[in-house]
Amino acid sequence: MLAIAALSVAVTSAATAIAAILAIPAALWIVHGRSTARAALLALFTAGLGLPPVAVGLAVAFAFWRSGPFGAFDLLYTPGAMMLAQVIVVLPLIGTLAVVSLRGGDPTLAQQLAGLGVPRRARLALLAREVAPGLVAAILAGFGRGIAEVGAAQMTGGNIEGQTRVLTTATMLAVGKGEFGEAFGYVAVLLGIMIVVAGVALTLQRRWA
Amino acid sequence: MNGVAADALDVRRGAFRLRVDGFGADARGTAVLGPNGAGKTTLLLALQGLIPSHGAIRRPARCAAAFARPAVLRASALANVAVVVRAARGATAAAAEERARSALAEVGLAAFAGADARTLSTGQRQRLALARALAVEPDALFLDEPFANVDADARPALRALIGAYVRRSGCALVVATSFLADAVALCERCVVLHDGAVAARCDVAALASCDDRYVAALLEEARFPA
Repeated sequence: MLAIAALSVAVTSAATAIAAILAIPAALWIVHGRSTARAALLALFTAGLGLPPVAVGLAVAFAFWRSGPFGAFDLLYTPGAMMLAQVIVVLPLIGTLAVVSLRGGDPTLAQQLAGLGVPRRARLALLAREVAPGLVAAILAGFGRGIAEVGAAQMTGGNIEGQTRVLTTATMLAVGKGEFGEAFGYVAVLLGIMIVVAGVALTLQRRWA
Repeated sequence: MNGVAADALDVRRGAFRLRVDGFGADARGTAVLGPNGAGKTTLLLALQGLIPSHGAIRRPARCAAAFARPAVLRASALANVAVVVRAARGATAAAAEERARSALAEVGLAAFAGADARTLSTGQRQRLALARALAVEPDALFLDEPFANVDADARPALRALIGAYVRRSGCALVVATSFLADAVALCERCVVLHDGAVAARCDVAALASCDDRYVAALLEEARFPA
């Protein structure tokens, strides 16, 4: 049980971190950049909100099939493949929510701070503080979607005991075997993880409030 | 003496173009008048170097500005002023807070020091913006419609506060305004803009003889209820 929960947290944490590292700069570019391609990327993010994890999982599994285009990497049915699929599932959500939170502030704030003689570095720090709670919420939502999804984890991981079994796929299997007590146990741990993560996020947001 | 000057200034913002030559301001104050869209805000932003422009601009190292729609940080009114004083002046946290507290008191916001700045009314935010700008103790002060939403009976005291600071410090002052009273109280000279160009320049004392339709309208309004 502990190993299963740990793998869930590890895969989703890594996927969320990678997605955030890609999505937040992309969101900054969408909000503050000049290129016309910004609208296309935002459309891609928005459309990606509805991506079924099982479809992403199927696509990633197909790509890593032994005879597939990336078969040489030998990643299928490994935590690496699960993580990659979750990055794709989570990235549009973090990106879209980050854009919303970056657009929320007063667009002239940076200019007004500059007009008061606040140096560039201090300005960036102040602006980062302004948007931090929104970005924390975006990352939290991404983590929640990642750890709760079952389709991509099943497709790319294969639910191999001791290797790629995570809380959601373990729950499905337990239900299939009629082991309802075990299934409820997994779900309880899943909820516990989300409560802890939400608590950490709230604490961070309060510190910046 | 601290001075702000601009020559052969040329600013483009989208389809709008502003061209100003021979602009100057010092502690005697220069008012920028003109109808909406004439280029008052654009001129102030360009003088501060906050938007790209061509031409020769001279301004002191330490400038501060208060805008008509002040943007505030997600923090208390006190923190909003203190953070700026710290960042712009390199003051210690304690000194910055002390300075911020007295600046808020000067603009009549002492009772709102602990309030979330985002919950303040527009007029209160404008006072906050003024406190923030004065607390920096600038050598050039740019005010863009600083009292547009401030209570009429509070405006004279705020004008007096700015005037006292300018006299005390020798700070250069540029005020874009739609109120004749701002120009009269704070400035000796004025520049009238129309459609991105200087339409008239005159001493504020001689506004009555200024040959400009917008100035005429301002004077006409000021004569109410004659």
